[in-house]
Amino acid sequence: MTAIDGDLPELDPVIHAQARLRVVAALSQLDGGDRIAFPRLQEILRMTAGNLSVHLRKLEEAGYVEVTKTHRGRTPATLVHLTNRGRFAFEEYVNALRTLIQPGEETS
Amino acid sequence: MTSKDDESIFGDPGDALRLIERERGNTMRHVTPDPRLMYWPWGLTWLISFGLSFLRFGPDGRTLVAMPAWVPMTALTALLIAAGIFTGIVGARSSRDIAGRSSRQGLMYGISWSAGFTSLAVIFGRVSDSMPEPLLGLLWGGGMVALVGVLYMAGSAIWVERDMFVLGAWISVVNVIGVLWGPGWHALVLAVAGGGGLLVAGLVGWLRRR
Repeated sequence: MTAIDGDLPELDPVIHAQARLRVVAALSQLDGGDRIAFPRLQEILRMTAGNLSVHLRKLEEAGYVEVTKTHRGRTPATLVHLTNRGRFAFEEYVNALRTLIQPGEETS
Repeated sequence: MTSKDDESIFGDPGDALRLIERERGNTMRHVTPDPRLMYWPWGLTWLISFGLSFLRFGPDGRTLVAMPAWVPMTALTALLIAAGIFTGIVGARSSRDIAGRSSRQGLMYGISWSAGFTSLAVIFGRVSDSMPEPLLGLLWGGGMVALVGVLYMAGSAIWVERDMFVLGAWISVVNVIGVLWGPGWHALVLAVAGGGGLLVAGLVGWLRRR
């Protein structure tokens, strides 16, 4: 693929924001069939609950993450999961970044 | 409550890539156990208990260091239980609050270990009475370690971890060499090459993820 100037890829605005990129990058490291509890994700990302909620909602609106409320015994639990669509969008985003750094080079 | 910084975009795509790498590495270190904590307890167990076995029940029936006959086997049992509990806790801590496929895989893999060891213990226990003493150590040690080697190789297929496959293959090979070499030598091979292999695996795994 040879990209010429002006033909550079668009960066997905949902992912292309520091906090949401961190969320998606972290979730992408988990197995596709896994769901992580909200407080654990918060601990890994070192974000406040309010902040993480805001960004998760934006990612959820875009269909990139799925947030499910469930119960563990009597305590309610919120589980977060990167959807196939979110995983694909993240891969596209990473490919776009690589193309921006080295336009015209094949990216793997 | 979104601060301006959170919505900030990157001037340089390289910054974004570096942030991704950092975050993925950080997450990986959170959700997978430290390889040192998972391998070193087993490595020390093999080094110490098979080492004691070699010193007490050396080649050609010699006793290299005098000690009661029950010491090596008791040390092995106690250390195996301690290592099992320790690595179980470390593994469970890293996968806590994550539900889904990986925890089912881990559970099934854990049950495979228990099933394999229980089966072999029953079989070996059943035939032990009619076996000559020197061959008993080969049967128990060789059989159990063969299972360990195969389970590591199978585990590598589940988690697609090449290093784990190399470890399993290494253990399988040195075990067979030790068995062919004979009683006494087998224990020495397991202590040095087997225990050493586990210690190296923990070190290599740790260096790779730093």
